[in-house]
Amino acid sequence: MSFLKQWLQGPMGALVYKESLEAWRDKRALLTAVTFALLFPVMITGTTVFVFKVKSENESRVALLGGEQVPLLAQRLAGDQLRVDVLQEGEPSALLAGEYDLVLQVGEDFVSQYREFGVPRLYVYMDGASKDASRARRQLQERLAPLQQQIVQQRAIARGVAPQLLAPWRLEVRDISTPSDRGKLILASVPALLIMTLFVASLATAVDASAGERERLSLENLLMQPLPPWQVVLAKTVAVASMGWLGGVLSVCALTALMPVMPLEELGMHQASSLSGVVTMGLLLMPLALLVAVVQLLLALGSKSFKDAQMRLSILQVAPLFMLMALDMSQVQLDKPIWQLLPLVGQQQWLKALLVGDVVSLPMVLAGSVVSLLLVAVFVLIGARALRRESLLGAT
Amino acid sequence: MIEVRSLHKEFAGRSVLRDLSFEIPDGRITALLGANGAGKTTCLRIVTGLLKADAGQVRVGGIDVARDPLAVRRLLGVVGDREGLYERLSVEEYLTLFAQMQGLRGSALSQSLDAVRSELELDDLWKRRTVGFSQGERMKVSLARALVHRPQHLILDEPTRGLDVLAARLLRRTLMRLRDSGTTIVFSSHVMSEVLELSDRVLVMADGQLVGDDEPRALMANSGCDNLEDTFVALAYGQAESPEQEALV
Repeated sequence: MSFLKQWLQGPMGALVYKESLEAWRDKRALLTAVTFALLFPVMITGTTVFVFKVKSENESRVALLGGEQVPLLAQRLAGDQLRVDVLQEGEPSALLAGEYDLVLQVGEDFVSQYREFGVPRLYVYMDGASKDASRARRQLQERLAPLQQQIVQQRAIARGVAPQLLAPWRLEVRDISTPSDRGKLILASVPALLIMTLFVASLATAVDASAGERERLSLENLLMQPLPPWQVVLAKTVAVASMGWLGGVLSVCALTALMPVMPLEELGMHQASSLSGVVTMGLLLMPLALLVAVVQLLLALGSKSFKDAQMRLSILQVAPLFMLMALDMSQVQLDKPIWQLLPLVGQQQWLKALLVGDVVSLPMVLAGSVVSLLLVAVFVLIGARALRRESLLGAT
Repeated sequence: MIEVRSLHKEFAGRSVLRDLSFEIPDGRITALLGANGAGKTTCLRIVTGLLKADAGQVRVGGIDVARDPLAVRRLLGVVGDREGLYERLSVEEYLTLFAQMQGLRGSALSQSLDAVRSELELDDLWKRRTVGFSQGERMKVSLARALVHRPQHLILDEPTRGLDVLAARLLRRTLMRLRDSGTTIVFSSHVMSEVLELSDRVLVMADGQLVGDDEPRALMANSGCDNLEDTFVALAYGQAESPEQEALV
């Protein structure tokens, strides 16, 4: 503790404190960070809820008239995305004008025809101009076909005919995806967006701490203090990273808070992000926030003006999103250990796993974080060299 | 003492300093005069270690700037030609942080802060953030930053530029008080009356070279002029305006 106190009261501590005060008192930067950090989880939640709501609204509704003759029919037809209501009476056109997409009417002599092995009639009433009618008819036919096949087989057996003769093959579709996989697919963009939050939230602070400081003509005073340039870059990196990290953690918290609103079961997610999940994700984002900050500072220090710096960092903030999404869509197996050592890719994989409640490998996380921190150190030293450039002081 | 030996500096192939040598003795105020582009600011930036010389050597308090710039910066207080304040920090925060960067802490820090607060009459500004400060107020805070760690040497680049009468007076009084307490002061200026009033010695630069180095009155006497402005023009441009020419202007 005394070491920390000494460090905080020493030159480096003062520099970090100064940079942090400057960063956190910049209302514009703070507003940008908080707004994006909260907006994107709200948008993800809204999109997910909307997608599933639309899906549930896509359920076809069928009115079954005369269904009391064949009580099992309604039961066998109803299921996922097809709702069948047995009605005692009703006019098909009136029902179609109401809430039903399709009306299925059982012929009056259905039972007697069925028993005598005749051809009982089923009448389908539909509004051909309605966009939902075709879908409903297709769904109804898909349900009727296996039922019809089953009855044919039962009749064949009753007459001593092997049912296989009537059906040379049977096609069965088996979906091997687990609910968790489906959830991962839908939430694939979330880790990339979380990483993008680091870039967006720290952008204004990075520009202010580098190009801004140069334009305010205060950089010269800072460089005339008895501090090595790498300490100046490191202090700025810490301050900029704190803003990016705030954005990242806010996003994680917002996502966690909004999870109860999301259709988690449909997404195949357990209630993944508990408090420990939030803390873990926050810790994972720390080295990356530092790396993002120092890269932003380097780019901004190399820019010609404040506006030039803003433009460079604006381009930079979307680059990782595209890169990560491209990698995701490619055939590369990103869950292999070597990929997890790469900054951005590693964090994306870990966040993805944590979001759906999977476990992450601690040794890989530590190794990947160390790689990120080593890169931070390298970039800090490059930044220190940049601070010694005479053009930075307008000396040329 | 500040010793400058055979300093040479080029920017984009153009010589800005050419074999520049001088010494600035301790406990005196030295003025550095020169037309715009004469090399004053470049020279002062090399002395502070901000720029590296292409050739030559600068020693401050016996320490080579190129070898140990951090040690030199502890001996120096610098007020550049730009105040460069932080508008989101109060004066108290600004000065405290710069004092801490210079290594002050505890009671030494408090005493230093109290001293500059009272010497530069900063009571009214102390808790205010520097946004919206007048030029005079900005200069006072900038000077306070340069003085807060009690440096042995103080370098000022055109310190009275843009100051009103009262602020300029306060600055001059402060510099003379510092000189009396043993601080070595170097300042660049274009205001000849101020140079005459303040300086014990004048260095005149032209085209990256030293063309004059003496006490102000001795410099005037040697050039045959009766005022410092004519002396400067004669030394820097190689001619003095005749009384007739002056009458025409």
